[in-house]
Amino acid sequence: MTNTIKHQPDPRLDLVLERVIDVPKELVWKAWTTPDQILQWFTPAPWKTVECEIDLRPGGAFKTVFQSPEGDKTDNEGCFLEIIENEKLVWTSVMAGGYRPLATPVVEGCDNLAFTAVITMEAAGDGTKYTALVIHGDPESKKKHEEMGFHDGWGAALDQLVELVKKQLVG
Amino acid sequence: MPSETLVLDHVFQALANPTRRDVLARLGRGPAPMTELAKPFQMALPSFLQHLQVLEKCGLVRSQKTGRVRVFELEPQPLQAAEDWMKTQRLLWETRLDQLDAFLLSQKEKQK
Repeated sequence: MTNTIKHQPDPRLDLVLERVIDVPKELVWKAWTTPDQILQWFTPAPWKTVECEIDLRPGGAFKTVFQSPEGDKTDNEGCFLEIIENEKLVWTSVMAGGYRPLATPVVEGCDNLAFTAVITMEAAGDGTKYTALVIHGDPESKKKHEEMGFHDGWGAALDQLVELVKKQLVG
Repeated sequence: MPSETLVLDHVFQALANPTRRDVLARLGRGPAPMTELAKPFQMALPSFLQHLQVLEKCGLVRSQKTGRVRVFELEPQPLQAAEDWMKTQRLLWETRLDQLDAFLLSQKEKQK
């Protein structure tokens, strides 16, 4: 664990979800790393995960196929980056197995699905505390802003505007 | 209905200019006629009008003519799109983990 990276979530772009559950962490690990189990919970209903392939090692593929309620299927490629059994699992959607970079997946209506997920788990009493950190790039805006030579400041500007608007809506 | 991504592109483009950001900040305090909005800026009226048109085109502001005065007003919806994107991602992951927790508890039952 000593050599593993320390994550600094960016609240503007990253999600941190923390859960405590009354099951041993070995079960949590299994649920994240066993294809049969992934099929049973991974995709928010009414979507389903209908196929899952896991090659559990750094650079190994993490492939899922989602199915919409209408029966349309979507392939999701992924690649494992870091694996510490029962402790930490990191994978990304921006690469396929073998670290092969993917074209940025853009789905109409879903925006950009490029992310890296860091799942950590630790024993908490008889149960487990697990955390999902979902790291996003800046899909909608970063490229545009760089083209315009406009790196800093926009985040703050946008925050201020959103604040102003909220005040206006309340007032 | 333009796609969400397109709306965001236009919003960010509109925000990428100090004059337009100042105008939005001013409108955040309430509607204002064009002449009042233009006052703090050292620029010709047609140039200023172009900035207002950019804001109006991407839906950040709307205007209404009353008699000879055109009054501008902030339209917060497109600004919300930038925030909504993160909310969608959060909802997806919350739902996913809810399902995981339900699954884990059912696994635990089975082991007993």
